[in-house]
Amino acid sequence: MPASRVLPYYERPAIRGGQEDALLITAAGLNQTYVSQDRSVVPALADVSLAVAPGEFVTIVGPSGCGKTTLLRILGGLLRPTSGTVHLLGRAVTGPSRNVGIVFQDPVLLPWRTVLDNVLLPVQVLRLDRQTYRARALDLLGLVGLKGFEGKYPHELSGGMRQRVSLARALVHDPALLLMDEPFGALDAMTREAMNLELQRIWRESGKTVAFITHSISEAVFLGDRVVVMSPRPGRIADVVTVELGRPRDLDLMASDAFGVYARKIRQALGPRGMLE
Amino acid sequence: MTLRDVRQRPHVVLIPLVFVAFVAAWESIVRAWRIPDYLLPAPSAIARALGLGLTNRLYVEHAWVTVSEALLGFLIAAATGVVLGTVIAQFRLVERTLYPYVVAFQTLPKIAVAPLLVVWLGFGVSSKIVIAALVAFFPVLVNVIVGLKTVDAPKLDLMRSLSATRWQTFRFVTFPNALPFVFAGLDIAVVFSVLGAIVGEFVGSQRGLGNLILQFNTALDIAGMFAVLLLLAALGVALHLIMQAIQRRVIFWAQPDHVIGA
Ligand SMILES: Nc1ncnc2c1ncn2[C@@H]1O[C@H](COP(=O)(O)OP(=O)(O)O)[C@@H](O)[C@H]1O
Ligand SMILES: [Mg+2]
Repeated sequence: MPASRVLPYYERPAIRGGQEDALLITAAGLNQTYVSQDRSVVPALADVSLAVAPGEFVTIVGPSGCGKTTLLRILGGLLRPTSGTVHLLGRAVTGPSRNVGIVFQDPVLLPWRTVLDNVLLPVQVLRLDRQTYRARALDLLGLVGLKGFEGKYPHELSGGMRQRVSLARALVHDPALLLMDEPFGALDAMTREAMNLELQRIWRESGKTVAFITHSISEAVFLGDRVVVMSPRPGRIADVVTVELGRPRDLDLMASDAFGVYARKIRQALGPRGMLE
Repeated sequence: MTLRDVRQRPHVVLIPLVFVAFVAAWESIVRAWRIPDYLLPAPSAIARALGLGLTNRLYVEHAWVTVSEALLGFLIAAATGVVLGTVIAQFRLVERTLYPYVVAFQTLPKIAVAPLLVVWLGFGVSSKIVIAALVAFFPVLVNVIVGLKTVDAPKLDLMRSLSATRWQTFRFVTFPNALPFVFAGLDIAVVFSVLGAIVGEFVGSQRGLGNLILQFNTALDIAGMFAVLLLLAALGVALHLIMQAIQRRVIFWAQPDHVIGA
């Protein structure tokens, strides 16, 4: 499919018209409090509301412990919020949905399965046709740059390669929304930049909607159509920054003035306690 | 083997060297002090007894009895241990109900039941099989339970995010994840099953290596007893190596040091 098919969300007529039903996922008034082991109450999220348009790439940035993973788990239906609601494609979220693919902080591969069988896990669990999806899984492995690795086992791969497998697995059942929780946080800086470039390409080619969590300001600006900035615990939305930089973005862009302006804006929104990089 | 290999892995040379030194010291002490054979036979006398027993097939026939008792007991223990362990680990109520009994039985020295089983089941092989199974059962059971309960949360989250059924989660994640533990249990169980068979034979039997030890004991054939002990040691090592070989093929992804013992 041509890359130009996917317009940045803010250029789309439906979004400009502000029509609610054109939104892919909405979260309204999310609050989450945990009760920790010593019975003290930990507020993790406070009044978080968020709307993501189809095809949009939203990055969520905040200091560690501010509730990013909590937010992602709520969006993915893995955690019921203490209060607040989430709607996915117009329907209230009460549990996990097959319209969501999750890339966790760790690759979470099954070590006894080959790369291909790991990618096909959702297909097996959702009882989809293996023959059809086998071809798709191989295509996706090509897309994430792992052509020829389908027969390998996870312990034969590097950290970056494992996370690519995890990405292919999250995409295999063709979910509308991709949730990613600091997927490249454990990678070295160079691998991480390479992965960011590839993720941008994959996103443009697949037309998915992505919510991407990070604690890196530059990663947030580089990838996002919009950057949601969260405050320290309990996590609130401190600011939302629309990044009007063209696509595809290349790594040189990170040295540009425009990029620096966005990064500074986000750093200010994070406040003195949110200094990360 | 070059000198450099020896420097890097000195134990490769030291292991046989310790054996040779030990045997030589034993032999020379027995000869120098003229220790009689019925107290402590020299290694050479033990080797003669072993060679004789192996060539006239006396040891082989008895060994076959003990091995078949142990292996049948082991298979029963493995099957019941895996099934019961799975049921206990999967169902809360079953676990809560049965766990006190499991703990009580586990602390009981199982071999103390051997005389009773011989009374019930007789001097034949069946009493030995049951004793072997009983002794080998608990390491399997405990490791199956522990293995099924040590799944890391992210893997369960992954399955939950796919709305996996309980059976799917068990089949795709929990069970394969438990296999390294299961094999650690089986490895212990196979050695324990030989122990159970021998103890059963001590209590009352007509054949088997345990019976042979008692026969030699009565005849004060100490060299023969040592020969049987060597045979038992070799048997134990062989069973362990077979288990390791199976394990390496089945749980190829797991490093040995990821596994806990019993
Ligand atoms: N299951 C839990 N029980 C108690 N506290 C938790 C639990 N999960 C997370 N928290 C707390 O909630 C806060 C937010 O956690 P998290 O969402 O993981 O933050 P982040 O992903 O931004 O680092 C942290 O202070 C964390 O300690
Ligand atoms: Mg987190």
